[in-house]
Amino acid sequence: MQSRHKTAARLARLALIALLFTVATVFAQGDITTVEDSGFEKRTRPVVAFEHDAHNQKAEIYDCAVCHHVYENGEKREGQMSVGMECSECHLSENSGPMELTRAYHRMCKTCHLEKNAGPVQCAQCHSRQNAPAK
Amino acid sequence: MHELYKLASGIFVWIAILGFAAGMIGRLAHLALTARKKDPVVYQYFSLYYALRSMLHWIIPFASTGMRAHPVITIAAFVFHICLIVTPLFAAAHVILVMESWNVAWWHLPDPAADVMTVLVILGCLFFLIRRIAQEHVRYLSTAGDFVLIALVAAPFVTGFWTYHQWYGYETAGILHMLSGELMLLCLPFTRLFHMALWPFTRGYAGSEFGSLRHARDW
Amino acid sequence: MNQNNQKDTANNKNGIYDVGIDKGASRLTPEKIRKVFDALVETEGGARLRAYTNACVHCGLCSDACHHFLSKDNDPRLSPAGKVKQTISRILNKKAKLDVDFVKQACETVFTECNLCRRCVIYCPFGIDVAYLMLFVRRGCHQLGVVPQYIQDTAHSHASTFNQMWVRDDEWIDTLQWQEEEARDEIPDLRIPIDKKGADIFYSLIGPEPKFRAQLIYQMAVIFHMAGADWTLPSAPGWDNSDMCMFTGDMEMTARLKKIHFEAAMDLKAKRIVMGECGHAFRSVYDVGNRTLGWKMPPLPMVHAIEFYAEIFREKRIEILEKFDRPVTLHDPCNIVRGRGLGDEARYVINETCSTFIELEPNREHNFCCGAGGGVINCGPPFKNKRVESNRVKADQLAAARDKGAEVLIAPCHNCHGGLEDVIHHYELGLELKFLGDIIYECMKKE
Ligand code: HEM
Ligand code: HEM
Ligand code: SF4
Ligand code: SF4
Ligand code: SF4
Repeated sequence: MQSRHKTAARLARLALIALLFTVATVFAQGDITTVEDSGFEKRTRPVVAFEHDAHNQKAEIYDCAVCHHVYENGEKREGQMSVGMECSECHLSENSGPMELTRAYHRMCKTCHLEKNAGPVQCAQCHSRQNAPAK
Repeated sequence: MHELYKLASGIFVWIAILGFAAGMIGRLAHLALTARKKDPVVYQYFSLYYALRSMLHWIIPFASTGMRAHPVITIAAFVFHICLIVTPLFAAAHVILVMESWNVAWWHLPDPAADVMTVLVILGCLFFLIRRIAQEHVRYLSTAGDFVLIALVAAPFVTGFWTYHQWYGYETAGILHMLSGELMLLCLPFTRLFHMALWPFTRGYAGSEFGSLRHARDW
Repeated sequence: MNQNNQKDTANNKNGIYDVGIDKGASRLTPEKIRKVFDALVETEGGARLRAYTNACVHCGLCSDACHHFLSKDNDPRLSPAGKVKQTISRILNKKAKLDVDFVKQACETVFTECNLCRRCVIYCPFGIDVAYLMLFVRRGCHQLGVVPQYIQDTAHSHASTFNQMWVRDDEWIDTLQWQEEEARDEIPDLRIPIDKKGADIFYSLIGPEPKFRAQLIYQMAVIFHMAGADWTLPSAPGWDNSDMCMFTGDMEMTARLKKIHFEAAMDLKAKRIVMGECGHAFRSVYDVGNRTLGWKMPPLPMVHAIEFYAEIFREKRIEILEKFDRPVTLHDPCNIVRGRGLGDEARYVINETCSTFIELEPNREHNFCCGAGGGVINCGPPFKNKRVESNRVKADQLAAARDKGAEVLIAPCHNCHGGLEDVIHHYELGLELKFLGDIIYECMKKE
């Protein structure tokens, strides 16, 4: 009983989020091809190319929360996701500056690439000069 | 490539850092103990005041007669050593890697500055190499090890520069960079590069003997 | 790293035959040589030996600090680090073969191509004490019985008479009495007090003074007398403060020599030691003696003659009638200027006694050695030409001062006199050589 309720609630929430997500993407950016975050006021390395949909298809990631996670008090909140938020909303505190944000991105991408033995891990593999230059 | 990267950015870093630290501490401790046993005068005459006085005259450019007598070498040696020590400690890439792993960060150099300093180190290596070959009295003193040493020091800078500029094969260069950097770190206590750790002691002792016993200047 | 040392040391010997070196070495075998040096490194080679040889980055910045290197057209083998490479580096390399030729070569290098003057120490960025390293090798040569004959002879003299010149006890006393008599012609109440208990000053000097230059004792007696000093000399051994054994590597003998010298002063309950104008003797007592005997500093106050002169001028205990009027220049002896910082004191005394003073360039701690020190002149006639040729820079330096008008060269060191005399003569510099005491004696009021 309990569990069925829970599943239903989760499904409903997922549907809602999926809807919001689609709307948000469509309205905000169209297809995602690069990593953008307003937290980086000034970029020191070339922008990172990132074909969101193609990446997820290739990497077989269907759960948005894998990347768009939500943490509370240091614990990951299962079933919650941060789709539509910028990483810097959480990963940029007054005192540590953009390094903290850099760290979040690197750990998110690199750690996974290393675990899976797939995908870029060296600076230039992401921050390629063939992408938009640093501004 | 991923496996290599994991090794080079994982276990090898530990080996290099621990080897470096153990080598430094071990060798210095061994020297300190040998000095207790066989050179007790070293402790007798060592004077912090005169040691610092001497070191100061040898760490400020042109503060010693010898440095003034060799202005080109002095400039080259200072630029070389400063860039050599500062660049790896404050290169953005290094600070970021440390930050990623241990969540500690410190100030870092803007990339173009690190780039220029890297070039200066490479030029410094070339300068010392050419000097070693061209000047008869330096060539006479040179051993094969001295040339290996210059290569050992140049390697992380050349490969770091290469990978930063993303030239052909930069991925391999990146791996080589990490490996050569680690090798250099590991070699520091066990080759002539150990001069870095010995300097405060040899200079300090010369300063102490000259200052407290001989009442004379040693610069 | 020293695999190519073999070729570096071949045929460097200058065809000079020396019984002490050649005969001494001919009795050895490579095994024996290796064994002795290894044992020496094991027992006496400590942190300094390791730190110096490991820290050296082979940069060659010490090269043009050395007068041997400069004088011999920048011969790379004569740079301080070059001498290290040929000798101690090879000894420390366990794989290198140390044969008879090596010992001959190394012996000649460490005994006659380095004056232990420590000028290179203040030009090496690491402060590597090449003199220490050369002395270390000399000690090994001593243990192998391979030492140039002439200096070994003075070491034997030290061992059997406690003075450098085979002066017998009665000769010593005779000389003092003879000088007292001579001086009394000039100053009737002058005394040369022997064995006076509790005197302020125990005066010590070097063996060659009673042997060859007794008038220096006379001169000093006059200075002491006019300054109203309470001084004495011992009748028994201990009066000679010189020491060639520290230069041959015979540190056991050095300990005995320095001990008897200190004890002579302490037996007489003297308040302090004043030493004559000698540099190497000063080093042997002030720097080497105390260490060898296990004291950080000498057990009783001791000063070089220059400090004593400066003191009596400051206290106005001596009067100059008319200043010495020929232009003088000063050779800063390594062992009391790099070795004891007495450059300013020497200039003060010169200022009190001479009207015109012209500096040598470079000077003070940066002065070039005379080429005689470190026992090199004591290796005797076989090496004389080589020694003088190895100090062309000294001649150039002196000539520059002469061209500025200097006529008299003051050198407050016996050993320097020997070396400078040869340089002046060989390069025809036409300078006259004097001690500070000569000038004071000449210009002072003597009643
Ligand atoms: C412990 C292993 C090391 C790792 C993992 C490492 C990693 C890196 C990385 C990832 C970069 C960035 C390249 C880029 O920006 O695209 C870099 C740059 C650089 N590294 Fe290292 N490094 C290591 C050791 C060293 C050492 C020991 C030195 C020198 C002594 C060194 C000197 C440099 C320099 C000079 C640059 C900058 C090149 C430039 O900006 O032109 N590295 N390093
Ligand atoms: C504070 C520490 C250090 C001091 C005081 C020091 C001092 C010196 C000095 C005085 C020289 C001779 C320079 C010349 O020829 O003018 C030298 C050479 C050299 N140093 Fe250092 N050094 C230090 C640290 C380092 C470090 C950390 C490295 C490398 C990782 C290094 C690498 C070199 C190299 C390769 C040379 C060789 C130059 C040649 O071959 O002629 N040094 N160092
Ligand atoms: S200056 Fe010092 S470090 Fe350089 S070669 Fe000479 S002794 Fe070695
Ligand atoms: S101690 Fe003097 S003589 Fe000996 S190597 Fe150094 S500068 Fe030359
Ligand atoms: S004889 Fe004089 S110049 Fe020569 S080493 Fe001795 S003190 Fe120095």
